[in-house]
Amino acid sequence: MRIVFSVGGLLAFIFLLAAVPLSITIIDGNLSISLQTIVDLVKSYLNGLLNGDSFTYQEGKSRTYSFLKDVSAYFFTSLRYLLLAGILAVVIGMLISAWYSKSKKEWIKDIIGFLGTIPDFILVFFLQLGVVFIYKSTGLKIARVASLSADENAYLLPLITLTIIPAIYLIRTLSERTYDVLSDDYILTAKAKGLKKRYIHIHHVVRNVLPFLKADLHKVLAIMMSNLFIVEYLFNIRGLTTILFGGTLYQFNLTVNTLIALVFLYLIIYWSIRLLILLLERVFAHD
Amino acid sequence: MTNWRLWVGMIATGLIVFVAIFGPILAPYEKDYVEPTGYFYNGPDDFGIHTSPYPPSKEHLLGTDQWGYDILTLLLYGAKYTVFVGVGVAFLRIIIGGSFGIWFGLVGKEKNKAGTIFGLLGSIPAFLIIYFLLIRITINSPLSVIELVLLQSFLMVIVGFPGVYAAVFSKTVELKKELYITATKALGSGRIRILWKHIFPHLKGTLVAMFVKEIILVLTLIGQLGIFNLFLGGTILRLGGPPVYISISRDWAGLIGQWRSFIYDYQWILYFPLLAFVLLLFSFYMLSRGIELKQKATLQKFPHI
Repeated sequence: MRIVFSVGGLLAFIFLLAAVPLSITIIDGNLSISLQTIVDLVKSYLNGLLNGDSFTYQEGKSRTYSFLKDVSAYFFTSLRYLLLAGILAVVIGMLISAWYSKSKKEWIKDIIGFLGTIPDFILVFFLQLGVVFIYKSTGLKIARVASLSADENAYLLPLITLTIIPAIYLIRTLSERTYDVLSDDYILTAKAKGLKKRYIHIHHVVRNVLPFLKADLHKVLAIMMSNLFIVEYLFNIRGLTTILFGGTLYQFNLTVNTLIALVFLYLIIYWSIRLLILLLERVFAHD
Repeated sequence: MTNWRLWVGMIATGLIVFVAIFGPILAPYEKDYVEPTGYFYNGPDDFGIHTSPYPPSKEHLLGTDQWGYDILTLLLYGAKYTVFVGVGVAFLRIIIGGSFGIWFGLVGKEKNKAGTIFGLLGSIPAFLIIYFLLIRITINSPLSVIELVLLQSFLMVIVGFPGVYAAVFSKTVELKKELYITATKALGSGRIRILWKHIFPHLKGTLVAMFVKEIILVLTLIGQLGIFNLFLGGTILRLGGPPVYISISRDWAGLIGQWRSFIYDYQWILYFPLLAFVLLLFSFYMLSRGIELKQKATLQKFPHI
């Protein structure tokens, strides 16, 4: 029952969000939102579901295409980037946080923390400027600054951006958790028993940190989704999010469909990473 | 050991607030000054034309943009919007989210765990929500700059305060379990007394730290909106040829957004606003680190291995 409510709420939110740009009017400096327009748009979308009109989009004046047929290419592009970056971020986050939690050096924390506060778009600009700078001074072309076409995607820089930001978030939160776990009594007991440090880490620390990773996963994915918009936009990658910002004509159907597709993308990534954590649990937390 | 991070943070933020207030007085040129394009002739072998964008030089410390506007001047004029909206929105988020969080944490029960779908709702990026709300309002808007800034700030507060609320709420619920709360309850103190004498003094430090972090988050949000051409204070869109987006208020995120294509050539145009923005973030970051370390020194646990 709760799931029905949540899905309903989510859909309502998507409809509302997509309808807002069309329903706002400013007359003589007075801002007004017409509820009637929102209701009409949703109604026509729901009617269009039956005859298939809702799954079409327009390009230019009169060319109409099928959304369902065209979306898969965009969808899989986004999925590829996100999945790869997600797995990398979790692995890197787990590995580094174990070491980072014990580090007494505050300046390392300064650097990692500052990297964590740098917004995604600034990171993208610095990576792009850096590649151009290296190319200009040495003639070495390290990576594509942006995608030229759907077949010539930039890979290195987008993946770096998509990985670094969630990885740093994970390092910071997981290292805090690791620190807390390390100060718990059962670690003291294990140490008193004469167990080796590495053994304690693998058998007692990692398994107690994994639940926190699971709990934090939504937050991590939220960061990654938000990065995806910026990364696809600035690197000119033809992924799902570019549909939202690409067209000159604002289309309600297209926006709603894309947002729903993004929800599916989120769920796929979420469950894939849950699977990865399950695997890690099999390795570290089996009894 | 002195907490040098706190000092660096405080001095840097102080400087930035100074620049934000007195920027227009310090600026070397008028806001609308455009360096003219012209030609020079010093002899038969030494002649040519000079056109904007001018690279950094003695006359234009940070260079000019493609139309000849002095970048340093624009940055100094725009600073107040970026800085004060960032601080103001963060402050309101903390006040609203914090007071609701403390009150409901004290009164209410513990929240049950959020499911997948709730996590999903929470993970809709803030800038996306604001983007849809503002796309028809900000660009070529009939509203004035101040009206737009207020509207944008209002939306940023609305989008952000639930996060603060959730964090303060869970902290308060944690604190409520402490023994001294039970003790003071047994002694008969009321809710208001617990709030003022026990919960709030404990949360004060956390709230200050959250405030500075929230400033950074707000600045990031302003920046992300700027990337999508929704500038603080309004966007001018010029069509006819390739679309050109111009920030009316010249706030820093807007300058980055309007010049974001200068990656290959004339890089100083993008580079200096970017650097200014990073410096802004850096000073607030140092401040937050300083506060964090100061608190850590008082409430510390030690690991066994």
